[in-house]
Amino acid sequence: MPGEETASPHEPGRRRSLQLLGLLCGFTAGAWLGAAEAPTKLVSIGVSPIVISLIMVVGVFLARWSLPALVMGTSSVRADVKRAPHLIIWALLAGALWAVANTLTIFAIRDIGLSIAFPLWNSNSLLGIFWGFLFFNELRQAGWRRWAGVLGGTAVMCTGAAVLAIASAGQSASGHSLNGVWAALGAGVLWGTMYIPYRKAYLTGMNPMSFVTFFTFGELGMMGALAFSYIGAAPLWHALVQARGVMFWLMLGGFIWVIGDLFQQYAAKYVGISRGIPLSNTNQLWGLLWGILVFGELHGKSSATYAQVIGGSLLMMVGVAAISFSSAGGQEQRHWKEAAERESERYGVSPEFVAARFDGRQALDEVLPRRNSLDWFLVAAATAVLAGFALIARVPEFSFHWVPAVLLSLSSLALLFVCARKLWRTTGFH
Amino acid sequence: MATEPSSRGRLSTIFTDIHFWVPALVLLAGLLLLRFIH
Repeated sequence: MPGEETASPHEPGRRRSLQLLGLLCGFTAGAWLGAAEAPTKLVSIGVSPIVISLIMVVGVFLARWSLPALVMGTSSVRADVKRAPHLIIWALLAGALWAVANTLTIFAIRDIGLSIAFPLWNSNSLLGIFWGFLFFNELRQAGWRRWAGVLGGTAVMCTGAAVLAIASAGQSASGHSLNGVWAALGAGVLWGTMYIPYRKAYLTGMNPMSFVTFFTFGELGMMGALAFSYIGAAPLWHALVQARGVMFWLMLGGFIWVIGDLFQQYAAKYVGISRGIPLSNTNQLWGLLWGILVFGELHGKSSATYAQVIGGSLLMMVGVAAISFSSAGGQEQRHWKEAAERESERYGVSPEFVAARFDGRQALDEVLPRRNSLDWFLVAAATAVLAGFALIARVPEFSFHWVPAVLLSLSSLALLFVCARKLWRTTGFH
Repeated sequence: MATEPSSRGRLSTIFTDIHFWVPALVLLAGLLLLRFIH
């Protein structure tokens, strides 16, 4: 039964359980966001980066409607939106921020290469900590140990990420280095700021499954507008037709990415953005594991490169451990609750509803989420679209190692199963 | 007890909320930056 661990929501045991759940969601998010890179590696060069991004966002759109319909049902999404309709604006804003940031990273990689660009946009976690502290009372009265754990852990993770990016980068700068630096920094600022809407929504009580269904309109709308304005309608259509053989892989990448992002949303809800963002940034580690073990990306590289990979990975793990041991205590959580009450009062959302969702429970006056025919239609339509593109997909000639691919897939699936089960039993996916 | 605001009241609450303006201005700056570097 969902929520069977929810008997006494205010007791410290419950708080600890929600914190552990948030940390687990952060780890799982990293694994699935990293795995999302695997299908995109099957796409050879020749497709415009903006077209690649647009096709992935179409896959994301399919997943963002079909997964919530399958797990909670659209009636639950409707009920959530009815209670806090103002959050639609923030969901659209967050989706648009994501799309612009993602496009900026494409230009950053083109101009300065991944090794310089990645550490610059990875600064999003530091900005997330700042916004979390400033707007949502995160890390208030947290004590110097937790501050040191979160800030120190994030800094160590950023260093590890930079070392990994240097080791895995294959491209050189293109001569527009200042533009590339601005693009990477801009992407970091946009992604770091995107977490303001996330945290606002979850403090108000909105279910992450509901938030992402509207987020994706901002994402697809902005990405579509950018693709139209930069490429033009006719060339864009031509590029999409040309890319039809690889569309499935890109859409699959988008679909897998959404699974990771859903866990990232739950991490932002239960451990806050100051801890949730750095934890889900471990996706770089998983992406690199896929690249090295499955696609043989570092094959033939020097031992110094391997040393960089091992060193960078260890640094990231140390950072993750530091953040994991700095979860919010009772006093800090009281400040979070004050921020939630402020939102409830300002937007006229029922305090009982906000308090229940804050504790990962269903409010007393809520009806149990139930799936209807619309939900099954959405699931069937998304499956049919993916299956249709799978039928016309080209399987590229690629060096591919099956054993590590199976092992990594099984590890990701195991994390998905354990985390989803814990989410269901502890919060009923609230 | 929180009371549900009217649509107009809700809009005015949104537009006086700093949580709206910070992401909105960052989005605008991002679009300008994209235009500048493209």
